Amino acid sequence: MAKKYAMIHDSNLCIGCQACNVACRSENQLPESVYRLQVWIKPEEYPNGTLGYEYHRQSCVHCENTPCVNVCPTHASFKNEDGIVLVDVDLCVGCLYCVAACPYQARYVDPVTKAPNKCTFCYESRLSRGEEPACVTVCPTEALVFGDLNDPQSKINTVLSERVTYQQKERLGTNPKMFIVPNHKGGIKS
Amino acid sequence: MNHIAGSLEQYSTLIWHWPIAVYLFLAGLSAGAAMTSLMVKWIEGNNKAPWDGLIKAGALLAPLTICLGLFLLIFDLTRPLHFWKLLIHYNFSSVMTLGVLGLFIYTPLSFIYAAIKFKPWLFETGPFAGLLKPFKGIIDSIGDNPAWLERTLFLFAVIIGIYTGFLLSAMYSYPLFNTPLLPILFLASGLSSGVAASILFGLLFFKSEVNQKNAKYLLELDLRVVPMELLLLFALFVGMYFQGGDKTLVAIQALTTGVWAYVFWVGVIGIGIATPLLIAVTALKHHAYRVGYILLNSVVVLVGVVFLRLYILYAGQTFIG
Repeated sequence: MAKKYAMIHDSNLCIGCQACNVACRSENQLPESVYRLQVWIKPEEYPNGTLGYEYHRQSCVHCENTPCVNVCPTHASFKNEDGIVLVDVDLCVGCLYCVAACPYQARYVDPVTKAPNKCTFCYESRLSRGEEPACVTVCPTEALVFGDLNDPQSKINTVLSERVTYQQKERLGTNPKMFIVPNHKGGIKS
Repeated sequence: MNHIAGSLEQYSTLIWHWPIAVYLFLAGLSAGAAMTSLMVKWIEGNNKAPWDGLIKAGALLAPLTICLGLFLLIFDLTRPLHFWKLLIHYNFSSVMTLGVLGLFIYTPLSFIYAAIKFKPWLFETGPFAGLLKPFKGIIDSIGDNPAWLERTLFLFAVIIGIYTGFLLSAMYSYPLFNTPLLPILFLASGLSSGVAASILFGLLFFKSEVNQKNAKYLLELDLRVVPMELLLLFALFVGMYFQGGDKTLVAIQALTTGVWAYVFWVGVIGIGIATPLLIAVTALKHHAYRVGYILLNSVVVLVGVVFLRLYILYAGQTFIG
């Protein structure tokens, strides 16, 4: 049976250390100027005057209903059998329609190939060796959980059953496979 | 924003730049010019050579502007040498693929239509007469009034005019693009730019062959399309305003903030819509035929449509709620 890979980012466990960001750059040998993953840190003031931080994982959310794949004229952008959104650089003409159509700003233009690229859940490297994505492995607080939604016994399904989660920009109907455990304090800004 | 995460440069929402706006303008103009030429030709008495200068102007503009636009589009790709992959790989859920397929039919038809209108020059008097001789038989066999070809060309001109709008409106990442009225607005402004360019081109290059009656017909047509654009813009922004949330915010920002608000009020509304209407009710009142003002009218309409494409493209990518 095909897998349906997904991830959880628990913003209560996240400390914004960027270990995931750095591990991703190293694993995927990204050029200097571009990122597949950043954690954005935003200071918050809560209604009672106390201060805190919001952590936002900025990366591809691997939509089920993919705006980027829908607009791509050549099928260079595609969703593979395991539900991961990938780019076939060989088919890409560089129209950047996918970059523009992505509501999550998940794509960058690779300075070498000039084709858009993005988070792949480390599909071609670590997943094929049976390992978890680099960001998940390196996270010091276990704020990231990765697994197969089609396997009821998987860790991600356990966590999804125990914690409150939401998907970013749910109203667009993209159905992302990136689930966010919202900060226990303050409001949710999806 | 704390920059510990690294450079934020790649997160700009401005992805498509001015060549795309110029392409959208040229594609709309091409479609509009084809429609203009056909509408004049379909007037009783205009269906035989020597063709009216306006018919010839539109027939010539349609293939030239679409080719110019497509060249611009190809060189704007980040991987231009791979552009041919667009021609052999199709994704039917992508408006870009549908556009490519539409252009496969529209572009050759526009060339054939132009060839019929410029037959003597192409095959007898022009510098390429010797080279093109082999094709004369094909063009002759089509005849001067191929109803099937003209109707198909008109239909595909409408499709090309409207697809440029759907190309943008298909993206729900940008509230200003993602509105149902945008394709209609682009079709209307494409038609008005096609009419204006045909009048301008016809009066500049084929003046002796332009029948006043036909020029007046086109001026009247433009006088109907331009207010329609105003109505569409009005309905687009008011409609967005009433949708709430991001859309309300974007509608207000796009009309009031920064340089793009100026481009809208001065370029799109002032130059592109108010000026031609003013010329129509003053200098060209009672359908006066004053060539200087007619040319000026065409120029401001064209400039206005360029501003409209630039404004929609840039404001759409700048204000996202």
